[in-house]
Amino acid sequence: MAIPILKQGDVLIASLQAAPTDQDLIQLKDELAERIGHFRSRIVAIDVSALDVMDSFATRTLRSIAHATKLRGANTVIVGIQPDVAFAMVQLGLTLDGIETALDLDEGLALMRAQPDGGASGDR
Amino acid sequence: MSDQQSRLQSSSIPLNEAEVDRRKRIVDLSGEDISRIVTLRNMVAEHTSRYVDAFFRHLDDLGEAPALFGKREVLEEAKRRKREHLAAMTAAQYDRNYVEQRVALALLYSRHGVSTPVFLGAFHHLLRALGNDIMKSVKDPNDAFQRFISLKKVAFFDIGIMTDVLISERERTINLQQDAIRELSTPVLQIREGLLILPIIGMIDSQRAKQLTDGLLRSIRANRARMVVMDITGVAAVDSKVANHLIQTIAAARLMGSTVIVTGLSADVAQALVALGVDLGKISTTGDLQSGLEEAERMLGYRVVRTNETTGPRLSA
Repeated sequence: MAIPILKQGDVLIASLQAAPTDQDLIQLKDELAERIGHFRSRIVAIDVSALDVMDSFATRTLRSIAHATKLRGANTVIVGIQPDVAFAMVQLGLTLDGIETALDLDEGLALMRAQPDGGASGDR
Repeated sequence: MSDQQSRLQSSSIPLNEAEVDRRKRIVDLSGEDISRIVTLRNMVAEHTSRYVDAFFRHLDDLGEAPALFGKREVLEEAKRRKREHLAAMTAAQYDRNYVEQRVALALLYSRHGVSTPVFLGAFHHLLRALGNDIMKSVKDPNDAFQRFISLKKVAFFDIGIMTDVLISERERTINLQQDAIRELSTPVLQIREGLLILPIIGMIDSQRAKQLTDGLLRSIRANRARMVVMDITGVAAVDSKVANHLIQTIAAARLMGSTVIVTGLSADVAQALVALGVDLGKISTTGDLQSGLEEAERMLGYRVVRTNETTGPRLSA
């Protein structure tokens, strides 16, 4: 099942459902890269609060989404990592260094808006 | 009373027929024994009050169970159960009901400070009194001895159950206390909206470290915290395992969108961390709790302003 991508102003929101397959994640990566250019989005928020496990493939895909969106002129924030998932990820060495994270969608968008490039473009 | 009934169920001793049979086999209680015990029924019934009084007088003389004698109704309850016990012992119906009664009595003892050795001593005292009477009432010494041995099998059957209860109750108490200490030892406190402090005091073992992480990550979500000040002023020593765990906790907090500032690293801890070669590059630290809080407030956009009002006689004096 494809992961839905919602558009809200200059923000693209992808909400991961429980246990996405590797294929779903790859498809998400391709679609996001495509749509950023199409909608001229500035912020990508990926909500993972429904996940109770985050493996290395998912983490790697999220990382490459963040890097690709950066190259396409947008910033990515990962929101809603659950406590258990967070600690498990750290123990597996999947720390998402250099990528923005936030508690939930609200916090994530507030965080991105507060940043110089995220906020300035958002107000325009 | 109702309390006792409910507690009966939560006891860790399994109360099923198979268990009762197993315990009977352990003490080698045969039908022959039971028929011998039944013959003692009238004798025991006649002297029950005397046995019970002697039993509790012995306990009182020992002075080892003051809590049992402190409350009149508790003592009455114990005496009543003891009388029931003596009657049941010679009634020779060693079934689930019998075992349940023994468990209830043991729970009563355990709650009022009768320890295992004291219980065993008092039980032996009771058996001696019973033995003396059996020897007196039965003419043939060989026969009397056989009857006493049969009764003793039941006594050991009882002791097995009751010591199990006494020990498991003690373990339960210890576990409860440990849980309470663990709960108390790692509080996570919110001092401003979005700002938590986590004071860590004392030794950190692996179990406590796990609980600390768990508590912190859950509090971050519950309080929507964006900054955490982790104060380790009260931690005397840090080894590589603890340091590693703290770093993992900080990384996990970051994944949840929260920034951790570590404060109060003592000179020794700081030197130890450097010597351990722990990668501290990703951790923000400040010298003391105050500067950590100031930094966190600044990052959250709070500004603390001191007003010019006099702050009361105590401060101005």
